[in-house]
Amino acid sequence: MTAVRSDLEELVYRSCLLLDEQDFEGYLALCTADFRYGIRAFSPEIRRDMVWMDLDRPGLTTLFRNLPKHNSDRAPLSRHATVYTVAIDAPNEQASVVTALQVFRTALDGGATELFAVGKVHDTIALGGERPLLRARAVRLDTRRLGIGTHIPF
Amino acid sequence: MARNAQEWAQRPKLPPTHYVDTRLYTDPGLFEEERAKIFDRTWIIACHESELPAAYDYRTFRHPGGKNLVLVRGDDGQIRVFYNICPHRGNVIVQEPAGNARSLTCIFHAWTFDCRGNCTGIARRKEGFQDRLDPRDVGLRGVRASIGYGGFVWVNLDDEAPPLPEFIGAALDILEPHLREPLEVFHYQQVVVDANFKLWHDTNSEFYHDYMHYFNRVTGMQQPGYFERRYVPFPNGHASVGSMQVQYDRYEGSAERKVGWPGLAPGGWLLVDIFPGMTFNLRTSVIRMDTVIPLAPNKVLIELRGLGLKSDSAEDRSARVRDHNAIWGPFGRNLHEDLLGVRGQGAAMRDPGTDSRWVIHGREENMTIHDEVGMRHYYATWSRYMGRSPSDPFGERP
Repeated sequence: MTAVRSDLEELVYRSCLLLDEQDFEGYLALCTADFRYGIRAFSPEIRRDMVWMDLDRPGLTTLFRNLPKHNSDRAPLSRHATVYTVAIDAPNEQASVVTALQVFRTALDGGATELFAVGKVHDTIALGGERPLLRARAVRLDTRRLGIGTHIPF
Repeated sequence: MARNAQEWAQRPKLPPTHYVDTRLYTDPGLFEEERAKIFDRTWIIACHESELPAAYDYRTFRHPGGKNLVLVRGDDGQIRVFYNICPHRGNVIVQEPAGNARSLTCIFHAWTFDCRGNCTGIARRKEGFQDRLDPRDVGLRGVRASIGYGGFVWVNLDDEAPPLPEFIGAALDILEPHLREPLEVFHYQQVVVDANFKLWHDTNSEFYHDYMHYFNRVTGMQQPGYFERRYVPFPNGHASVGSMQVQYDRYEGSAERKVGWPGLAPGGWLLVDIFPGMTFNLRTSVIRMDTVIPLAPNKVLIELRGLGLKSDSAEDRSARVRDHNAIWGPFGRNLHEDLLGVRGQGAAMRDPGTDSRWVIHGREENMTIHDEVGMRHYYATWSRYMGRSPSDPFGERP
């Protein structure tokens, strides 16, 4: 396919909306069969890069399937994304997209919203099919204090 | 039947050792007293030696007693600990959490200190102090340090406190065969939650709350051997919990375990709580270390570390990180649930005026996994340090 920047931006934004809505099947439908998802952060305290999540598509699918069995904070997360750069590699039928991400958490009781996390999302997007699909998503968090945490990826 | 106000305030019909007054978790006066009488007098884990691998590496630590410390590995390989306070004008000397510096320099007025705590430079000393100030009189305040039990760096602000081995006693013997190889920290995370520090340690001191963890229910509680796990209390408020064969394959997506831990049977799980707020937790292929740093009566900073073997191959380390993250990472199954639990307690006990009055530690099950002896043992030691009864801290019982 011939992709333009707006197609790739829409894919990124749609993926955020689907995760906000906890439509995990819809999210996975935006991903290739060999999709890989990761979250990393650098710790100045131990001066190391930390891997906080590293899952292939079956692993992510299982994570989503198990969610209802767990006790989780029900406060909704809202992802605010701004696509910064798009680099299309036409010969190899893929693109690299860098997106700034802010995640907000809104309390169920009272509705107060707080900033939960900030970071960048580095997406590798496959362009070889009928529509662009996420092949790899690497979230690089600046925020390392995540309150009580969450079971749902960003 | 719901109780009226008078009934609600009545003491539980249990021995006074089996419940505590919730003001232990909210009272500002008790909180300050705990810092002075407990945290300033006991051995506390500041970090792991792998966080300062090279000469001149430094690492800061916010001591639970409220002091700012800096740990420095000297040119002789020894780790020394000092107050991170410039004797000149009271600024912190080291401002970043970790780094490497041959000389510790206070950015405020450029006073310098070496890795032994000596003051090595006072800018324009002759002009300002003439011969009235000897640099030997303005060295850093040294703090006792001891490395052990897996390479952790322990500190004690009390110059007269018994040595670390005397404080620990036999509490960590259960882990000793598994701590012989050098370890390395691969995960560090801070969590701040609105709850008293003891509530987090309570959570680590009882397994009855496994009802909250789907993962632990299916892999542990529903499996043979779970209810045979035993608590062993040790002097000074420590307690260990024996192992079982955790059935990881009962949790979908968790069957594959590529690496284990030296000397630990596959599926083994050992836990040791150290007074006043540290927990060694060894399961699957990872050691997790919790340390609590109280910030306010109803606010605690929890430092969470994940450790593997220093000798790990890249492949083994990746497997350990995966094992760690599945249950204990920031997005892991169990950590989030534990934090939900303690946050709820903090909300119920948010100030001394709350109507939460008592916390019951009354389960007796022959010292096995759902016995609440771990908490009772902790509060008996708390009582000794504080000179107060946990169930009657202000001497109000008739």
